[in-house]
Amino acid sequence: MERIYEIQMGIEELARRALETGTVGGVAALLEVPETNKIAFTLVRAPEDVKGLAPFSPWMLENAARSISQMTREAAFTQPVAVILRPCELRALRELVKLKQVNMTNLILISFDCPGVFPIGSRLNGNGDLPAAYEKAVLEGTNCPGIRQVCSACEEFVPRGADMVISLVGRSPTDTLRAAFPTEAGQKFAEALGLLAEGREVEAGEERDRLAGIRADEHNALSARIQGSLKDLDGLVSVFDRCISCHACRYVCPVCYCKDCFFESPAFSYYPHSLHKRLEQSAAGLRLPLDRLLFHLGRLTHMGASCVACGMCEDVCVAGIPVSQIFKTVGGDIQQMFDYLPGGSPDDPLPLLTYREDELKEMED
Amino acid sequence: MSGKRKKIVAFLCNWCTYTAADLAGTSRLKYEPDIRILRVMCSSRVDPVFILKALMDGADGVLVGGCELGDCHYQRGNYYARRKVAVAKKIAADMGLDPERIRLSWISASDGPRFAEVVNEFTREIEEKGDTPVKHEAYV
Repeated sequence: MERIYEIQMGIEELARRALETGTVGGVAALLEVPETNKIAFTLVRAPEDVKGLAPFSPWMLENAARSISQMTREAAFTQPVAVILRPCELRALRELVKLKQVNMTNLILISFDCPGVFPIGSRLNGNGDLPAAYEKAVLEGTNCPGIRQVCSACEEFVPRGADMVISLVGRSPTDTLRAAFPTEAGQKFAEALGLLAEGREVEAGEERDRLAGIRADEHNALSARIQGSLKDLDGLVSVFDRCISCHACRYVCPVCYCKDCFFESPAFSYYPHSLHKRLEQSAAGLRLPLDRLLFHLGRLTHMGASCVACGMCEDVCVAGIPVSQIFKTVGGDIQQMFDYLPGGSPDDPLPLLTYREDELKEMED
Repeated sequence: MSGKRKKIVAFLCNWCTYTAADLAGTSRLKYEPDIRILRVMCSSRVDPVFILKALMDGADGVLVGGCELGDCHYQRGNYYARRKVAVAKKIAADMGLDPERIRLSWISASDGPRFAEVVNEFTREIEEKGDTPVKHEAYV
């Protein structure tokens, strides 16, 4: 059982102390920018700039694993940087390490058990104040109405592999922190800041378990709903015929890292004569742009095994397709087939880059 | 054989199944002419997207053929191929396409008769299923 410590400070204070003591050279986390009523993932370097640090915000505007990838892909940080990520961002980050898009050197990973986030639109159209209902749900360990569908069905809301795990469920974002330090790097970090000496060991609350139970039920319901809507070709067409081929889902996807997307490559730009030929042969005619459905099926083959179900894709879909619910369901099936958890153990190779001799007999004849 | 011919796209590995197809031909074995053969250097070259693209563009069936396990020209290619086909089948099944229209077979270079048998068997299965519903769908 992990040991949880009550620390007599909030997240801003923790970041300030880490910067002031020189334990870290930077803190990367969501920051509130009051002048513009915005939140942005920010790398803070000066202790006085930690004001407005809001890693527990009920909104995420991107999966921050993308930003960390951008900052470390070609060159690692030269001094320790504490990054505060949601569990799905952390899993995406660990997945990106396997895809050689992130260098973990000098990263101190801080995460927390995540109550879920609201769709982006609700912030852009609203005022960004923390809804009272959200705070209440976090305190009680329940799902707040209105959070992303995949969040309310997320069973991986407790981070894996973080150096510092903050207990948020059962607490208020303004409370002093409770945290565990499961790794060696985490222990060192805590010691450097004097957190263990000042801290007091506390029992884990039962709210996390309550939420886990609710999430498991929601997950089953979500899978059943999606499977029901995609049971045949008519289902597939009726779900995806609204797609406008903007490919925004892939732009925001943390594990869709290719700079040149296969589905935007010349492989899919047809010459007129081949289109004419197809038009002649197709009984039903052609509706453009072509390969709209194939894009989604194909993207599933590319990243389904690595999908962390963060929900970004669905948030940006202007056509209102439940993309992330579908990818969570189908991706989850692929992962189950290969007994693979994206962002789980760093020792598990990516499913399509490995094999076992004695498996999948049912796939051959 | 009855009615209209079906369209079955076959991705065959250069070293085994394609050679077996060649052998079936030179041995003057008869098999159903519904298949359209594409030669690939290894069954593991068959990206799951190829399979799904064929299905979405109206193929009635997709056959992937490789060397017997342990006999791959590149040692392990067919093990990877099996995982890729598994992904294509899983996605097909979950997304409302018929995974039984995808078949993976290991046929060694010397086994022309087995090649003819697999093609006949698969063609029969596809005939029983009938035309792919994708053909009548403008949206895909």
